[in-house]
This record gives sequence, structure tokens and C-alpha cells, in this order.
Amino acid sequence: MSTRILTRPQPSATRSAPPAGQPAAARRGPNLYRVLSRVIIWVLVVVQVYPLVWVFLTSLRDERDFASGNPFGLPSSLTLDNYSRAFAHGHLGRYIANSLIVTLGSNLLIVVCGMMGAYALQVLGFRFSNAVRAMFLVGIIVPVQIALVPLFIDYSKINLLDTYPSMIIPLAGFALPMAIYLFSSFYGYIPRETYEAASLDGAGPYRIFARITLPLSVNTIVTVVMVNSIFIWNDFIFANTFVLSDNLKTIPLGLQNYIGAMGKTDWTATFAAVCVTVTPLLLVFLVLNRAMIYGLESGATKG
Amino acid sequence: MLPSRSKLSVVVFLLPPLLLYAAAVLLPIVQSLVLSFFSWDGISDMQFIGLANYRHMLTGDPVFWRTFANQLGYVAICLILQLGGGLVVASLLATLTRGREVIKVLYLLPAVISTVAIAFLFQRVYSIDPVGPLNTLLDVLGLGGQERPWLSDVHTVLVAVSAPEGWRFIGLYTIILYAALLTVPRELEEAARLDGANQWQIFTRIRFPFIRPVWLTTSIMATTYALRGFDIPYLLTNGGPGQSSELVTTYMYKTAFTSTDYGYASTISVFIVVECLVAVGLILLVLRRKAV
Repeated sequence: MSTRILTRPQPSATRSAPPAGQPAAARRGPNLYRVLSRVIIWVLVVVQVYPLVWVFLTSLRDERDFASGNPFGLPSSLTLDNYSRAFAHGHLGRYIANSLIVTLGSNLLIVVCGMMGAYALQVLGFRFSNAVRAMFLVGIIVPVQIALVPLFIDYSKINLLDTYPSMIIPLAGFALPMAIYLFSSFYGYIPRETYEAASLDGAGPYRIFARITLPLSVNTIVTVVMVNSIFIWNDFIFANTFVLSDNLKTIPLGLQNYIGAMGKTDWTATFAAVCVTVTPLLLVFLVLNRAMIYGLESGATKG
Repeated sequence: MLPSRSKLSVVVFLLPPLLLYAAAVLLPIVQSLVLSFFSWDGISDMQFIGLANYRHMLTGDPVFWRTFANQLGYVAICLILQLGGGLVVASLLATLTRGREVIKVLYLLPAVISTVAIAFLFQRVYSIDPVGPLNTLLDVLGLGGQERPWLSDVHTVLVAVSAPEGWRFIGLYTIILYAALLTVPRELEEAARLDGANQWQIFTRIRFPFIRPVWLTTSIMATTYALRGFDIPYLLTNGGPGQSSELVTTYMYKTAFTSTDYGYASTISVFIVVECLVAVGLILLVLRRKAV
């Protein structure tokens, strides 16, 4: 038994099975289970990946081929026309640049504020630190909808509507609780003796932050940035609410322009645009997925 | 506590995050609460109307209750796919010996795609003219009678707008639960198996209790995400046809930015927060008690 831990033999084949039972059936049990679980795992892989492959294939299809053809069929001929139409129609470059600015700006705020907050809460410590920590943690479950109307009104009062900060502030603010949580739990692992030794050597809180905490945080920074970038790069609701002019549109808003802009939707060009805008994040994800998966796992399992 | 810290240094480090958090989250919450007691269209003067918005929402607005029921359906579908599907697949994944890392990445792919792109994708998947993948698949499976325009049929539209949201995060919850399952000590399972426990008993008596803290976190995550779900229904159907796929969140958005009824929209957004808090409370109540 113990040599086959990973195959999880059916228990009915071991103890509860009567000795008269067919040995063949007993052997088939675990195999059937194994085969079935493999099948389910791979079916889900297809379900998760196929739609994206389909978008990619469609973006290479001839328009007429798309309208008439079998959606599962391979394209009869490959064309890059859709891509040139996608670039000609919208301001794809502009949208990508805007998304980059918003993503970088928000991430900078999240990382700096997240590290500072976690440092104050976890390393420095103060009398009401537990209350402050709780206040931040509640933010993890606060839905973003609550902020839309007030921020819209506030922004229009101080002329911040339709600017990069109008997107960056709420994106960073709502991501901050999770960042503080991740940084705090990481700072909890840095031995207290490290700090005490540095203190005895005369280092103040700023120097300790710059020389010890910051350099040690690099891995956590990568994780926090990866996890947040996905949500920020794809943010729709804040951008849709606070951005009015065309030259500030981020990718999700820009993509919307493709629908109905030409009377009839040019699906193949739209899918080409989708492919172009998905690619940067996809590449980063494929390279850094370990950091991201680690972040997602530890975010939920360390609680 | 750091021995050499000063009060000033605490303030220096705490101030930037607090300011950001206050500006983006705390202040808007307070403002929404205040606004919810007013009637305001953004142009004329604000008018204090006490609890009238709440009274209207709870007793005089059938559309609101319709959207609430829809939101519950949306949450249910998301939870079945994400938590139910995630747990099953994570358990299966734990039996794999090779290729786990690759499969994890593949499962997570849809989470990287923007909701606008997903909305485009599913608009095509559900379409009937030209025939999209879903209807083609039904035809191939011999279920041709089930073909329909999924997004304009009032009976299917709610499921059709919920499924993409569930689909896109199955991988996320699978990965989290899988990581938790790997921490279950092998010896415990082996001991139980030697004592004659079957697969189901091992799962319910050993594995699940062991991962319960993670299950608690993922339940809270999935439920609160689904309660604030907005993008895909808004983009796919904008609540239609009629109100058959209108959620509380999309209704609130339209009340605010289409009807510019800021007061009533704030009331609904306060309700969304209350929804999340109640849901978290319920989850803690149910899962914590069982743990004792």
C-alpha cells in the first residue's frame, strides 16, 4: 500500500472487500479512478485555455471565413490584415501607454505605502497598532462600488476627473490592505534579533528600514506587484467611471471602442486588438508566474 | 517594538498609507453613508430626506429586489464553479505526479485576461448568428434542440452572464486549495487508510478539517468578489433583456451615472457593503462553529 500512495487505491479493494471478490476488479478500481481524474484535469485545461486559443485563431482569420465558417474549424487561410485594421482603427498604442502609466503609478503607490504601513505596524509597533491593522484589513472586503459616487463628486470638485490620478488613487487605495497584509506577514518572519542588533549599533528606524527591511522585501515586492498588476491592467470600473476623454483611455476602455464603432462590429479586428493588449501581461505572467502563484497561495493560506 | 523608534518615525511611516487609504476608501464610505440620506441629482441643491431612500429601496422598489435575487443567483453560480469546482479539481490535482506546475499556469490563464476581452469572447461563444462555439458544441453532441441565443433568452441569461465570472477564477481557487491540500500530513491519511477509512471518509474527516482555515478564507474571497461582481454582466448584457441579468451592482451604477440619482445610488452602495459584511459574518458563523 504505502508504495502506491500517489495513486490512492480504492479502499474497497483493500480491507472491506470480501476475499472472494475478483482480483481483476480490485485492480481496475484504482486505475479507473486515476484515468477519470486525469480526464477531468485535462478537460478543465481545455476549458480554461481553448477560448483564448480560439480568440487568437480568430484574430488570424479572414473576415468572411469567420462569418461563415465552423467556429471550431481551423482558419482556411491565415492573415495579418486584422492586426493592421486593429491598429488603424483605434489608438492601440495610446491605450497601452495609458495602461502602463496607470499600472506603474498604482504599483509604486501600493508598494511604497504598503511597505511603510507594514513597517509601522509590524516592526515599529505602537499602542493602537491592532486597531489600525484591523481598520486596514477590513478594506480587503470593502466593495469598490461604495467609492464610485463619492469619488466622482470629489474629483469633479477638485478638477481631478479625467486624469491619471483619478484612476491611480482608488486602484492603489483598494489594493493597499492586501499589500499591507502580505508585507506584514513577511516582516513577521524577519528575526527580531536582526533589528535589535542594528539598534544596538546605533541605527535608527529610517536606516533600519532602508538597510534591512527594504533589501529583504524584494521577493514580496515582486509578488505584490504581479498580483496587483493583473487587476490594475484590467481594471474596468474605475476607468469607465472617471475617464471621459479618448486620449486617457486604458486598454479595457479602448477595446470597447471596437464594438459597434463601425456600425457592424469587426470581430476579427477586435480579437486582433484583444490579442495585442493581452500579450504584454501574458508574457510577464508566463515568465513570473511562480512569484504570482506564490503570492496568491500565501495570501490565502497564511491567514 | 523597535527599541530605537521614536513617535515621529511611527507617524512618518504610517501617514502615507493612512492618507491614501483615507482618500480612496474611508472618506468615500463616510460620504456614501451621508449621501444615502439625501436626494441629489448632482445639479440642484441637496435635500435631506432622512430614511426615505432606504424605505424606498426596501419596500417600494421591485426592481431592487429583482436585482438582489439575481445577485444571489450570480453568487451561487460563481461559488459552485469556483469553490466546488476548485476543490474537486484541487483534490484531483493532488493525485498527479507530473506536470502540476504547467497545469497550474494553464488554469490561471483566464484570470490574466481583462473582463472586456472576456465579454467579447463570451458574446461570440453564446451567439447563434453566426453560430458560436457553444451552440455548435450542442449540435455536435446531438442536443441541437437546446440551441438558443443564450444572452437574449430571459431563462438562460443570468446563468450565461455568471458562468464567465465563475470560469475565470476557477484556476485561482484551485491553486489556493491545492496548496492547502499539499500541507495535509501524509501520515494522517495513511493511518486513517490503514484503519479502514474510505476515500470519502479521508476527505471529510481528515483533509477537509485540515484545510478548513484556507477554505474559510477562499469562501470569504469568492463570496465578496461575487457580491461586487459587475464588469461581465454590465458589458455582456447591461442588465438585459429587461432586468433578467441586472445585478445590484449594475443597478447601482446605472442609478448613479445614467439616472444621476446620487442619493439613491449611495443607498444601494451602502447596501452592497452591508451585503458583504453580512456574508462574511455568516461564513464565519457557519465555518467557525463546525471547527469547534
